[in-house]
Formats: sequence, C-alpha cells, structure tokens
Amino acid sequence: MAIKLGEKVTVETLTVLLSSPTELTLAGTLSTPTAQTEFRRLLQDLHAQIVATRAATFAVNVEALSFVNSSAIRAFVDWISRAAHAGYTLAFKTSPSVTWHRLSFSVLKSLAPATVEIVEARAGGGATP
Amino acid sequence: MSDAPQEERTLNLSRHEAAVEDARRFAELAVSYCTPECREAVTLAVCELGENLIKYSGSADDLSAGTIGVSVEGDRVRVRAVNRVTSPEDAEAVTAIVNKITVSDIRELYRARLQELFANPSLPRAQLGLLRMAFEGGFSLSCVFEASQLQIIAERACTGA
Repeated sequence: MAIKLGEKVTVETLTVLLSSPTELTLAGTLSTPTAQTEFRRLLQDLHAQIVATRAATFAVNVEALSFVNSSAIRAFVDWISRAAHAGYTLAFKTSPSVTWHRLSFSVLKSLAPATVEIVEARAGGGATP
Repeated sequence: MSDAPQEERTLNLSRHEAAVEDARRFAELAVSYCTPECREAVTLAVCELGENLIKYSGSADDLSAGTIGVSVEGDRVRVRAVNRVTSPEDAEAVTAIVNKITVSDIRELYRARLQELFANPSLPRAQLGLLRMAFEGGFSLSCVFEASQLQIIAERACTGA
C-alpha cells in the first residue's frame, strides 16, 4: 500500500491517512488477512521513509482505530523494534475509552520506554502526554 | 438485562477471506444490547478464536473451521469455540497456554510474550490471541479436549447492560 501525503487510503474496513510527513492516522478495524498484509507493508515502507528523512519523532493517531487483531499488535511490536534500532520515537495518540488502547499500548511502551510515547486523548478532544 | 438464560447464538465459521470480519459482525449483533465494554470484549474474543479456528483447526479441505457460540446468562457472558483437531499436539499446546493463563499474572504473561516477539521478530506465530482475551477482554478461560474435538470457553462479567 503506497501512501502519499494527504491521500486517504482504504483497505476493506481500515482507513489510513498520512496527514503530515511525520503523522499517520489509522481508523476503523483491522481483522482480515488482506488488511493485515497491506498494513505490515505500509509500516515497513513508512519506516524506510522515516529513516531516510531522519525524522526524530513520528506520530501515529489510533484514536479511531476501534479494533485490531493480534497480527496488528505484532506489527506494532515489530515497528517499535525497528524504530528502537533506528533511533526515532513513535508517539501513539490513543483513546482512553478504547480498552485495547488503554491496556496494550502501556505494555508496548514498556518494551522500549525510550522509543514509545503514549499521548492519551481527552474526552471531547485534546491530548495529555 | 433479564436473568433468564439466553439461548446460545452460534456462528458456523466457513473458510474464506472475510471469515473473521463475519465473526466480528456476528459478535456485535450477539451482544448488541450489552455495555460497550462487554461488546468490545466479546468482539475481541470471537475474532481471536475465529482467527485461530481458520488458521489451525481441522484440515484446510473442511468447509467449516468450527463454531463459535455466544450466550448471556444473568450478569455473565460466555464465548465458546468448538473445532475438530487433527493434531493432538496442537490441542495439548492450547491446553498448556490456557492452564498457564489461569495461574499467572496475565499482564506479566502478555508482556513477556510481547517481549519475546520484540526480541525475536522471526518467530513464526504471534500466539497473542488467548493472552489478549484474558488481559484486554478480562475473560476467564478453560478448555476441554475430547474425541478429537477442542472446546475453548471464555467467560466474564457483563454488568450494567
């Protein structure tokens, strides 16, 4: 899934938007094999792009990503591992009202505390680091 | 929500590309009247069990990968997956994971598995589904393996519906 700046890409029930050179927005659900494959490819491409541009931080807004299967969790683990080796930070913007955000992202951060930042959105907008 | 037992709603999971998405919609409908937290947990359980059935159950020639049932009784919700197993070793591996989850600190167990995947990206299987059901979904898990049939049962509270 090649993604251009400002272009919204939909893979089945997953929507992806590269809203700025250093921010990705994910929305919808991710559960099918096709979406999983495309998602993993997207993250690999983005990683190469982040490394090439030497960005220090990359933001990932998952507030509207309501459901993912375990393959997506693993894709996040792999991305965090690559980011840690490359030396950039991933800042995930999460929603406190979504259980998997609240629970799994805190564990993901514990894998690489210097690489992962969690920015929890406030009810009604805004965010608290 | 009435305390009367609800008949189990069952999905016969067929093997096709959108099977897990079908399972997700089935879950949302089965507990549409429950709390958002319960709906989220049941959807997670049904999808994770459904994906496991598609990947690992029976043989690829079987049209059906197995069944997933959802029922609510009083303030408890139950998700039950049943499938035919061709490899007893696979069933024993599932039983071992369920037993480990039952006696462990689930957050630590989940974190340990993510740490393994973090350190070894080439591991072939994520094996996160049952852990997520217990950790994120708050389910108690049990399983029974008899006569080539594996049954996994996940139960949790469903209050405030």
